[in-house]
Amino acid sequence: MPKTHKIEKLIEKIEGEATLHFHMKEKKISFVDIVFASSRGIEQILQNKPALDALVINPRVCGICGHAHLIATVKALEDCYEDIEISNKAKIIRELTLNFEIIQNHFKWFYLTIMPLLKEEQNVMRAAKPSQLMSKAIAHLAGQYPHNSYAIVGGVVCDPSPMDMLKVQHLLQETIRFFEAHLVHGESEKLLVCEKIEELLARGGDLPHILNKIVDQELQHCGKSFDRFIVFGENSYFQRGKASKTRIQPNISEVYLDVEANSNSLAKNVLYKQRYYEVGPLSRAMMLKTPLIKDAHRRFGDSLMSRILARVCETLQLLNHSLSLIKEIDLDEPSYIKPSTDIQHITGEGVGAVEAARGSLIHKVQLVEGTITSYQLITPTQWNLSQGTQENPGVSQQAMLGLEEIETAELVFKSFDVCSVCTTH
Amino acid sequence: MKTKLFWLQGLTCNGNAHSLLNYAGFEQFLEDFEFIYHPMIDSEHTLSSLVQNRKPCDILLIEGSIAEDFQRAGVGIVDIIALYAPEVKKIVTVGTCATFGGIFKDSPYHDSSGLLFLEEEPVTRFAHLKDKVLSVSGCPIHPEVLANTLYSVREEITVKMDSFHRPKAFFAYTVHNGCTRNEYFEYKVDKHTFGEREGCMFYDHGCQATYTHGSCNNILWNDVSSKTRVGQPCMGCTEPHFPKRDLYNTKKNMGIPQDLPLGVPKRVYLTLTGVTKAFKIERFSQKIFDA
Amino acid sequence: MLAKEIIKYISRYLGEELRKINNEDATAKEKIHRIVKTYFTMALEQPEMIEYFLRIYLSNREVFKNGCEGMICVSDFVTEIMIFFEEGVKSGELRDQDFFSAFGLFMGYLGGMVFLHGEEVLTESLDTYIEDVSYNIYQALRAYEN
Repeated sequence: MPKTHKIEKLIEKIEGEATLHFHMKEKKISFVDIVFASSRGIEQILQNKPALDALVINPRVCGICGHAHLIATVKALEDCYEDIEISNKAKIIRELTLNFEIIQNHFKWFYLTIMPLLKEEQNVMRAAKPSQLMSKAIAHLAGQYPHNSYAIVGGVVCDPSPMDMLKVQHLLQETIRFFEAHLVHGESEKLLVCEKIEELLARGGDLPHILNKIVDQELQHCGKSFDRFIVFGENSYFQRGKASKTRIQPNISEVYLDVEANSNSLAKNVLYKQRYYEVGPLSRAMMLKTPLIKDAHRRFGDSLMSRILARVCETLQLLNHSLSLIKEIDLDEPSYIKPSTDIQHITGEGVGAVEAARGSLIHKVQLVEGTITSYQLITPTQWNLSQGTQENPGVSQQAMLGLEEIETAELVFKSFDVCSVCTTH
Repeated sequence: MKTKLFWLQGLTCNGNAHSLLNYAGFEQFLEDFEFIYHPMIDSEHTLSSLVQNRKPCDILLIEGSIAEDFQRAGVGIVDIIALYAPEVKKIVTVGTCATFGGIFKDSPYHDSSGLLFLEEEPVTRFAHLKDKVLSVSGCPIHPEVLANTLYSVREEITVKMDSFHRPKAFFAYTVHNGCTRNEYFEYKVDKHTFGEREGCMFYDHGCQATYTHGSCNNILWNDVSSKTRVGQPCMGCTEPHFPKRDLYNTKKNMGIPQDLPLGVPKRVYLTLTGVTKAFKIERFSQKIFDA
Repeated sequence: MLAKEIIKYISRYLGEELRKINNEDATAKEKIHRIVKTYFTMALEQPEMIEYFLRIYLSNREVFKNGCEGMICVSDFVTEIMIFFEEGVKSGELRDQDFFSAFGLFMGYLGGMVFLHGEEVLTESLDTYIEDVSYNIYQALRAYEN
């Protein structure tokens, strides 16, 4: 029996596929190649298109986080202006619809991906029902979900009435009740301020159930990586910056990003100041110092336990925060403020960063007289799944090192919530 | 007996799969249909096993555009389609990419196209399958349209189709039917600003609803709304040429829209425009809620 | 009432002549020539119709206020001019511009020439001006390569 050998595994149902090549040494994973075989070439498709057409094309990068691409696109285009005004009303509406997309993504990931990986029956309706509620909420503001292009340079196209906002509010409340009925039983208000993971584990619900299962199977310390986190998309809830364990550094700049091609995969790597970072709900919670996640991190580090917990908790936090955002909207403000210069006459560069469901999403665009000459997308899964070397592994590669079971490795891999179509776009 | 569905993906964003999950009757749907493979819903078979050996299947669903070099689980998608086509009762192209090529016809795969069409032109590769094909175009598909089309196959209801194999029940309408901004169109009130409930987007802002086949304002999206109702122009996503260019702008030749409502001759349109523009209706120049 | 009917008659007549020209397989330059010729020929052969249009309709608009709002009563004619312009721009021969700028140039020019003819100011017969007038209109409206 050779001491080192490779195991190839096709990972499916990650909004596409990837092939993992596990290098096994002494029955443990010593390295993993992560190979994405296909790219649709969105960056080429965008070449020479009129700037606003990107608002229609880019949501089609992804069917589950396309809305994040829309918001990143509009922000990148607006960044090409020296001087542009977006009303507070438009900013809040954009943040709300993006929150709704993040929420539906997390429900789907938990019930369609994570539960089955832990040998629980896949309950499709528990994923579909809250997604339908959140999609409806988006549709009240943006017309439809998936795939709308309601955010345009200068604001948003919609002009919701107080009645529309009431409907959105009710949908949020219904989704919170769903969360309480299935994900974590008991009062969600208490969970929002909970500081001890033991409290959560003592409750009923699908989340505590599988977290306890993870502990029972002694997997709670699996999936640890570099404890390095980064968040680019700042809004009224998320905070921008990077963290190494709990040491936070708020000042970061897109200038220090590097994107590198891989020889064996069509996905590209992303580094910040030459280092790999994790993005996603855990990173966002570490930047916010969310008490419950801090407690989990103290106990379990940046393991799959903390990652799963962070993603589900973020769901509730965003539901709650969205309710308070609704109260802040002044519907009398304009939804759209026509830019002083038509985008057809804009030459310049812009960067748009948002927090998508899986982490930081960055769009970079170059315009010449309103036509796109260059477009670069940097997606969350590119961050997490960057392929480093044996000497300098990427975040998810590091997380899988030392594991014995391929099944566990798949669980760790999917705890990052992988999106194949975004990765290769 | 559940009808067996194989959800096969080409070059896609998965938007159609996510859109179907929003079908209001999805719980019942899962009682009547079984996915032998689906990109998110677990099934008895892995994709690898399905593409190697044909398993029993009633309907082949294809999402995404098709290219010779594109593979799923190590097998060319064209081979997978060829494997299942003889077995299934129907092949349904799900979405505009699978029907006409859509956005991903311009991907690096040089021959990327829909199953039967590349834009409006028939494609020869799978032309021999055309009698089995139903097209549900849209970017993404409307969940009710896809679900009801699948139910019609299950119930063996004959579906009247248009020349692109789209069910007329949904695609004989235009997106314009049922839009809440219709009055502005009828009376040629051509002032429109984004961010307002008033105004018609046909004249300046590229709305293709009057010549796009679909039921968006008939059935509504997510049971509650539609793009045009909230103020986003229709982008023509069910049609062969989606996406066109300069989508938020109406192409005009000396002030006259180049693309006119479906089936309306130019002279008729211009004569009507001339007549209606002569009059100014007060109500249409006011804000709806200020009156 | 009678006034309105006469205007509509003129518009329909001219509209029909223009429709024939629009349906012909010819360049925009050629069509301009034919339109100018039709208009000047009508002015020469049926002067009372054009006279009526220029002197009564345009000068006494208030007479036509009820039932001839906007350009309703001349809609046949205006529709054909719109189609001519639209197809000229689509084929790339004419410059894309606001409809009324082009309309004003075209009809103002033709109306002005016929007016001068009616005042017996022109030194030559109206039809001898067809070539130059057509050429000028074409040069003004054509698209130029950038």
